[in-house]
Amino acid sequence: MIGFYTYFKREVARFMQDALNTIAPSATSVILYIMIFGVALATRLGLVEGQSYTRFMMPGLILVSVITNSFYNPAFSILQSRLYGNIADVLSSPLATSQIALAVILAGMLRGLVVGTLISLTAWLVLGFQVQEPLFTLLYLLLASMGFAALGSIAGLWTHGWEGVNVITVFFLDPLVLLGGVFYSLEMLQSAPLLKTITEINPFTTIIGGLRAAMIGTTEISVESGLLLTGILALIFVSLALVLFHRGYHLKA
Amino acid sequence: MECAISFQNLHKTYAGHVEALKGLSLDVQRGEFMGLLGLNGAGKTTSINVIAGLVRPTSGSVLVNGFDAIKQYRLAHAQVGIAPQEEVLDSSFLNVMQILVYQAGYFGIAPREATKRADALLQEFGLWEKRKSNVVELSGGMKRRLILAKALIHDPPILILDEPTAGVDVALRHHIWERMTALNKAGKTILLTTHYLEEAEQLCKRIAILHNGGLVATGSPHELITKILPDQLEIRTDPLLKAIPEGLDKFSPHLDEDCLCLQGSLSDPQVMNALVSLVQHSYKIISVEQKRARLEDVFLQLTSTDKTRYP
Repeated sequence: MIGFYTYFKREVARFMQDALNTIAPSATSVILYIMIFGVALATRLGLVEGQSYTRFMMPGLILVSVITNSFYNPAFSILQSRLYGNIADVLSSPLATSQIALAVILAGMLRGLVVGTLISLTAWLVLGFQVQEPLFTLLYLLLASMGFAALGSIAGLWTHGWEGVNVITVFFLDPLVLLGGVFYSLEMLQSAPLLKTITEINPFTTIIGGLRAAMIGTTEISVESGLLLTGILALIFVSLALVLFHRGYHLKA
Repeated sequence: MECAISFQNLHKTYAGHVEALKGLSLDVQRGEFMGLLGLNGAGKTTSINVIAGLVRPTSGSVLVNGFDAIKQYRLAHAQVGIAPQEEVLDSSFLNVMQILVYQAGYFGIAPREATKRADALLQEFGLWEKRKSNVVELSGGMKRRLILAKALIHDPPILILDEPTAGVDVALRHHIWERMTALNKAGKTILLTTHYLEEAEQLCKRIAILHNGGLVATGSPHELITKILPDQLEIRTDPLLKAIPEGLDKFSPHLDEDCLCLQGSLSDPQVMNALVSLVQHSYKIISVEQKRARLEDVFLQLTSTDKTRYP
């Protein structure tokens, strides 16, 4: 266990020692969203699903921050270790490949949850934002961060350069998030049927809707269905990451 | 007794059909100091990287202190400290001390003990003043020393050193030689790859020469030289010999322009008898010159089949 803990600690130290470049930017940008939407625009936008727009948007912003940070940490760490060659330190050690994968995924989860916590605290302090179902919310964020940290580790294995991570962000993560109802509800799309269809078939819509139900009590999507889908995605991505690490995909010649 | 390292019919074909290892079989005994020699691309680093878990063999196996390096890789890795050829160091955010402490941690050593060991190794390798520096601030020689300290931090019974003295100055080279010799005397098995043949000749009790992915010779430096390029005796007489004297067939004799050439040593009684016989047949021995090959000559003899390599 010392070996596993050491590698986990290294992965955490990697983003904590450089918090100004890892934690601060995403927390700051979301806090800016809160300021702009919450203070400047919320009164003009009216109610969405019976909630103020800021309150409606908050779960989505938190979730997006959690998953992007959970994704980026393992993606960049693994890619960097592969490019520099120091991934050999752990591959040549007595650590099991599953321990390497899990340490990386757990560290990614931690980064996502640290950012999520900072944003939640800011929302609570600035807007008085409170969570209705704290346990469900925590479980949700744990599963979401796990799934996307695993996806990040897969991206870190798959890509051969920094551009590869950007490709996944631009062509996969951004559309998934932006067309998943972070900033709008389905009922707001009555006049845009194509966007409505895309949003409906986007699994992220269910995930974010479920989280919104747990955090602020909306009813468009149930907590259970969102939680189930998040859990299934986490299971798929973690399993795939474990298999790829075990096979030494892009790690061993 | 089990071998420290046993390569068993190891094959590795990389993508693009590059055959790096073609059935390498080689045993390194426990406590041995073995040199692994070969031209670039002979398969030295590939065979080491199979042990390191960085290369999957196409077929065959490697046992490390009895543990299969593929199926029991965790146990096998615990037995070995590897100093790689390339300066592969975690330069992203860790300082020199942290690199060693984390490395020890990967091998299950608790932080307090790891720090103690790192302190000792940093002092021993003259890196104490640089313990808080990032790798990018180190000179090439310092990086090489740090790589060696990393390989030693978990006190492994087997050390694999892939060209540890490449590009280092003479003083550091001698320091590394002394350290390796002391470690071997303390009981550690050492497998050394090097392109410096005098280094191999001086340090290694046994040498294995790889060529085109296979083992072409193994033995002590002396054995290799005497077996592959035996001593040559050049005997000059007055008058010149017109025929090869009888009884010398086992020394592969031939007459050169001005001398009789034998493959053998003056210490061989049969050679001495032949010289006495020549004197008895009224030949005056003008000179007897014994030519001894160097390990480099043997190496070139065994690895120079590909004449197109460096035309």
